[in-house]
Amino acid sequence: MVLVLAIGDLHIPHRAADLPPKFKSMLVPGKIQHIICTGNLCIKEVHDYLKSLCPDLHITRGEYDEDSRYPETKTLTIGQFKLGICHGHQVIPWGDLDSLAMLQRQLDVDILIAGHTHQFKAYKHEGGVVINPGSATGAYSSFTYDVNPSFVLMDIDGLRVVVYVYELIDGEVKVDKIDFKKTATTRS
Amino acid sequence: MSPAAIERTMLESACSKSSAESRRCFANLRGVQWRIDLGILPSPSSSTNDDLRRVTADSRRRYASLRRCMLVDPHLPKDGSNSADLAIDNPLSQNPDSTWGRFFRNAELEKTVDTDLSRLYPEHGNYFQSPGCQGMLRRILLLWCLRHPEYGYRQGMHELLAPLLYVLHVDVELLSKVRKQYEDHFTDKFDGLSFQDNDLMYNFDFKKYLDSMEDEIGSHGNAAKVGSLDELDPEIQTIVLLSDAYGAEGELGIVLSEKFMEHDAYCMFDSLMNGAYGAVAMAQFFSPSPAGGSHSGLPPVIEASAALYHLLSVVDSSLYSHLIELGVEPQYFALRWLRVLFGREFSLENLLLIWDEIFAADKNKLEKGAEDDVVSTFGVFSSPQGALISAFAVSMILYLRSLLLATENATTCLQRLLNFPENIDLRKLVDKAKSLQALALGPSTSFFSPRFGEAYNHNKSMAVRSHTLSCDSVSPKTPLNMVPESYWEEKWRVLHKAEELKDGSSGKQNPTSKKGWTEKVRLTLSRTASDPSPAKVGRGKDHKPYVRRHLLEDLSRELGFDEDSEKAGCDGVSGQKDHICAAVGVEDRDCLNKYFTCAAEERCPSGNAGSEENSSVFSDPSSPLSGANNHENDSEKSSVASNLSVDETDDHPEVIQEDATLPVSHLPNDATLISGSNNETTEKSVTAPKERKLLSGKFQWFWKFGRSNVDEETCEKGSGAIDVTKSANDAGTQSSAICSSVDGSCNSYSSTKGDVVDQNMMGTLRNLGHSMLEHIQVIELVFQQDRGQVGSLENFSKNVIVGKGQVTAMTALKELRKISNLLSEM
Repeated sequence: MVLVLAIGDLHIPHRAADLPPKFKSMLVPGKIQHIICTGNLCIKEVHDYLKSLCPDLHITRGEYDEDSRYPETKTLTIGQFKLGICHGHQVIPWGDLDSLAMLQRQLDVDILIAGHTHQFKAYKHEGGVVINPGSATGAYSSFTYDVNPSFVLMDIDGLRVVVYVYELIDGEVKVDKIDFKKTATTRS
Repeated sequence: MSPAAIERTMLESACSKSSAESRRCFANLRGVQWRIDLGILPSPSSSTNDDLRRVTADSRRRYASLRRCMLVDPHLPKDGSNSADLAIDNPLSQNPDSTWGRFFRNAELEKTVDTDLSRLYPEHGNYFQSPGCQGMLRRILLLWCLRHPEYGYRQGMHELLAPLLYVLHVDVELLSKVRKQYEDHFTDKFDGLSFQDNDLMYNFDFKKYLDSMEDEIGSHGNAAKVGSLDELDPEIQTIVLLSDAYGAEGELGIVLSEKFMEHDAYCMFDSLMNGAYGAVAMAQFFSPSPAGGSHSGLPPVIEASAALYHLLSVVDSSLYSHLIELGVEPQYFALRWLRVLFGREFSLENLLLIWDEIFAADKNKLEKGAEDDVVSTFGVFSSPQGALISAFAVSMILYLRSLLLATENATTCLQRLLNFPENIDLRKLVDKAKSLQALALGPSTSFFSPRFGEAYNHNKSMAVRSHTLSCDSVSPKTPLNMVPESYWEEKWRVLHKAEELKDGSSGKQNPTSKKGWTEKVRLTLSRTASDPSPAKVGRGKDHKPYVRRHLLEDLSRELGFDEDSEKAGCDGVSGQKDHICAAVGVEDRDCLNKYFTCAAEERCPSGNAGSEENSSVFSDPSSPLSGANNHENDSEKSSVASNLSVDETDDHPEVIQEDATLPVSHLPNDATLISGSNNETTEKSVTAPKERKLLSGKFQWFWKFGRSNVDEETCEKGSGAIDVTKSANDAGTQSSAICSSVDGSCNSYSSTKGDVVDQNMMGTLRNLGHSMLEHIQVIELVFQQDRGQVGSLENFSKNVIVGKGQVTAMTALKELRKISNLLSEM
């Protein structure tokens, strides 16, 4: 019952002022055990805010991040799952599943979390799961129209991960759930 | 006989028939015994084994269902459907109804519980810190707290639960030991046997069966060779019977069962906390709010601590007063003692013995008899079990008596109380507790009606003192040590000054009620002590001035108050004091008005009721402001009138009437003295008027003397004069109260003037003493003159000398002398 928050592409303060208030009210400290951030926060204040939600914070570098010390990619293990993080601007074409799968195989992870497109996506392919949490602030993107604020909460429980997607559509928070089960034999 | 009947008789024979001993039939099976005591299981003498099983099974089923519904797994879809409303049921949902919300709340609770559990009984860590045990404890506590959200989880609950689980565990271990020893009685090895001849049961050779069994288990060295159940010890018998899986409810009904330890522990804990079947409800001790039926607005644990202290005061008042003096309030240590039922003070083994006694105590709520007009405000005394708990606490305090009396500061005291010594003779403690329990349930405690006012503790200590003193006759077996009077006088004076300085009019009621207490203390003290009761001087004296008469009247009124109100509380006195204070605080024109109203009142004595009216009336003048003149007039009128009714003599009214014409030439300063004189005149009306006349004569003289001084000093003198006049009264015991009251009023007067300087006070008191002495001499003179003299004064045609007045007058004189000595010493 590990709750992992996947969030990214906030672009604060350049393209957005803050998280939507409805999102902010939902994100309270104490519930979430890990935060995975794809990048483009961009400033330290956002980093501190995320740190206040949960002390275990993993960030990768986005192209607009002001802190240059974030790594390009990161891997971690939570429960039975191996997770990989990357901002996504390094993988060309941006948002392409096959290229992301290539990265996933490179990192050797079950779940790859990558962003940059500002659009929520969750793919399942034979190797594992690729999740794009979208932009939490709904920041402008030059190649995506109608950006809705969104983020992802993963509930990792043994060999099963439940992905809750929170999207702000027309001012209302819409929640969706996707179940993924890891087969025990893959990825020794 | 049917097998059930056989079993029952066996069970009953295993336990003794009498109910008194029935509890001992399970002496070594504490788990069962405690369950019976806590009311979960029916007592074996009144139920069959089947009943026992059924009740056990029911309670376990209840727990199981509770567990199933309370422990939340958010992954399981609600109602078995997959389409849960995700907007509500997502982990970040703020919705309180969501399963995730409940899950998180439970997680919070669990975290709190865990912090306590991890520190539970580290010295017995091999059992208590084992994950199985911890898991059980955690679940039980969690479920109980979820079931009782009004209490939540409080530190200490885990310590109440731990021994319960422990005794169950001990029982189960014993069971497994016995099982190993007497295995053949537990196992049914019919399946492996080969039947020769027929398979008919009635031909079955039991003997052969047992022999074959023995052969099989002969390899087990420990197997005892017993032929049948009857040959076993009664203890072993009961164990076997209680663990039989064939009874009603099958496996669920096995009374001693390892599988259902958690369930049983939960039932025990629940019953202990809820006080089921009349037992003391431990949960109350954890709640911060006053219990519903409590007479005081205090949390139950504070009340129980107070009860403890009260019992201590009854038993050992010197230790009690010592603790009070140091400021050691009972709840500092009693909170821990009571909340965990002494769990932290004793080792586990000792604790089990103590709990044996406590649980075995009679739980029925006592019937409150007709004589209990004063309802016992201590809920904890309402059942013998509660009384035993308090008694045990008191016996613990008494055990440390010498240590506590030796300490001089509160911290050390508390340290000693909170670190109870390890090697103690527990039997002695328990026996003492039992004897104290009888005391706690006796009549002496039911007379007690403490006031839990704002100055709770102070009031309480004072109250308890006075009441224990008044209860002297009731509880002769407890010798009470008299606190030296000077202590109380001092206390009272300090109290008095503090109150008056605090607030002239607004805070009147409460301080005066406190004053009433101190006054009562003085009353009772003076009653028991032979010291200043200067009320007996000047019986049968002649000629008094009108002022004096008024003084005396007021005084006797107040006395009448005290007599009546002693049972009903100090309202009258406080009212009187209020009145006096009012008089004190009143401005000049008010004084004059009062002056005249006194006169007016006296002219129309209406045989009014007693002190109740007075008290109600006197509660009026609590706002002694100028606007309330009429009020005061009325009150005085009625008070005087009622006082007259108290007198019961025909002469007095007339006499008083004639006195009514007070010379107007008296200065407005007379206000205090007038009211004082009112007091005294009323008081006097109880006795012969002659005394008054004489005293008023003295007073006039005194008055002139007094007028030459500063206001304060006049006040003091006035009080001295009042003292004298008081001394001339009959009810000597109460006059000291009046003395103090008027003294206090004068004190307050001076303090309201704002110029009180101690030295001034001392000086004036000294003068007071001198003047009193002079008074005494004059009185004595007149007394001699007075004998046989009737109606010497022109204004008083009917002066009746009370026959015994002379004798009492002499004694009063003596006491007056004593007072004057005291005062001159100051």
